[in-house]
Amino acid sequence: MTVSFWKPEEPLIKYKGTAVSSVKLKSFYLSVALAGLVIGLILSVQFRMTMDIQDNETIRRTQELADQVAQLKKEQEVLQPQLIRMREQLESLSTGPLSSQIKEELEMATMFSGLSALTGSGLEVSLKDSDVSQARNDNPDLYVVHDEDILRVVNELKAAGAEAVAINGQRLVANTGISCSGPAVRINKKALVPPFVITAIGSPETMEGALKMRGGVVEYLQFYGIQVSVKKLERLTIPAYSGSVKMDYVTDKEPELSAAA
Amino acid sequence: MNRSFFISISVVTIVLGVILAVQFRTTSAGDDVVPRNREQELALEKKSLVEDLYKLRTEIADLSVKLEQAGIGQRESDEALGRELVKIKQFAGLYQVSGPGVELLVERRPGEPGLGAVDFLDVTDAQLLKLVNELFSAGSEAIAINGQRITAISEVRLAGNHVNVNGTPLSPPYRIIAIGDASVLKNRLELKDGLVEYLSEYDVLTQIQEKEEVTIPAFTGELYFDYGRPVKES
Repeated sequence: MTVSFWKPEEPLIKYKGTAVSSVKLKSFYLSVALAGLVIGLILSVQFRMTMDIQDNETIRRTQELADQVAQLKKEQEVLQPQLIRMREQLESLSTGPLSSQIKEELEMATMFSGLSALTGSGLEVSLKDSDVSQARNDNPDLYVVHDEDILRVVNELKAAGAEAVAINGQRLVANTGISCSGPAVRINKKALVPPFVITAIGSPETMEGALKMRGGVVEYLQFYGIQVSVKKLERLTIPAYSGSVKMDYVTDKEPELSAAA
Repeated sequence: MNRSFFISISVVTIVLGVILAVQFRTTSAGDDVVPRNREQELALEKKSLVEDLYKLRTEIADLSVKLEQAGIGQRESDEALGRELVKIKQFAGLYQVSGPGVELLVERRPGEPGLGAVDFLDVTDAQLLKLVNELFSAGSEAIAINGQRITAISEVRLAGNHVNVNGTPLSPPYRIIAIGDASVLKNRLELKDGLVEYLSEYDVLTQIQEKEEVTIPAFTGELYFDYGRPVKES
């Protein structure tokens, strides 16, 4: 816009001395036009500012929400360990002959369900967004880590015999869903942000082989430039699931003990 | 005249420059400003936290009743422990559960021979995995595919000619049963641009039935831990 506006002025200057009145007129028009342009720009800036003020209202509300969320999270952090302590307490209270059998079963069930922390050999897989996305002009959505990519890796690890899996420290349990929400990935009601570190306990060799096989999931992810690193570990610890095991829709809650034993 | 012309030009240029600078600042500052959907995201997070806290409190209340009972005597404490065991087994997938939910029938559209440009063999493992994941994300509490209960370490993966779940080969048609709020689960799958629509583009048809009661069997495989050991807390 500015360029086309300056060009016609060059012949104007050459006119000086010959046709003063016409130049005077021209320069007058020119300044009027410029003034108009300036006013237009000022108005548009002003308009933007006003919009920004409205935006502040949103920012204030968002801030309020963020505070509430932080408060709720704090509460959650208090309640979760309390729950685990109480479960352990219940176990330690029962000492009879029958209880030792129940306890054995309970230990297996908590390990299997993800309610107890597990330690052993395994694999650490980290997924990072591609760094080529900025350089290329096509859909940047292709070059960030998605829920589906994590799902694939996790499924592959399970197929290779993983005994426990966690994503950024969130233990996967039977009803864990992995979903996208904006740039974050939601797992066990928690929003996780990249890089995503998937840890799994099991045979490091078998799991690594499954991920890195020809045409496998690592090759697929690397095609999109996702940065995948796979590390075999002799020892790693996967934390317990810290949420509740309450099932709201299951109707036959806690049947008779005889049925369980 | 000439001077006034140049002055006006320079004034205008300065103003223009300032405006451009301001404009640029505003635009680049836009990246730091909280995006509008951040508010929605937070609202969602708050909602799920409130739900989660409610669940945690209910469970803590339930455990304190059990603890109190356990304090009475041996028989009572065994019983309390036994009830806790069943609860955990239901959650783990080691115990059969019933409740309201949905039943999905997932099949490939019967093909007209010779017409399909790309012939997909069948419903793929990835498609089944997506369905299961979507149901859990929508709040389902327990799921089975063709009678195989999904546990914390269940895979849904092609092995040879079959999709395996829990190491057991399944054959089509695939029936997925899920416990949860039936209408929420159904609506989530049938959203516009949702998973059912997406799958139909690949000739995979999903029929969803809301059910008042479905029963999901227990995981019947062996429980073994060759690599993992429980962490003993001090």
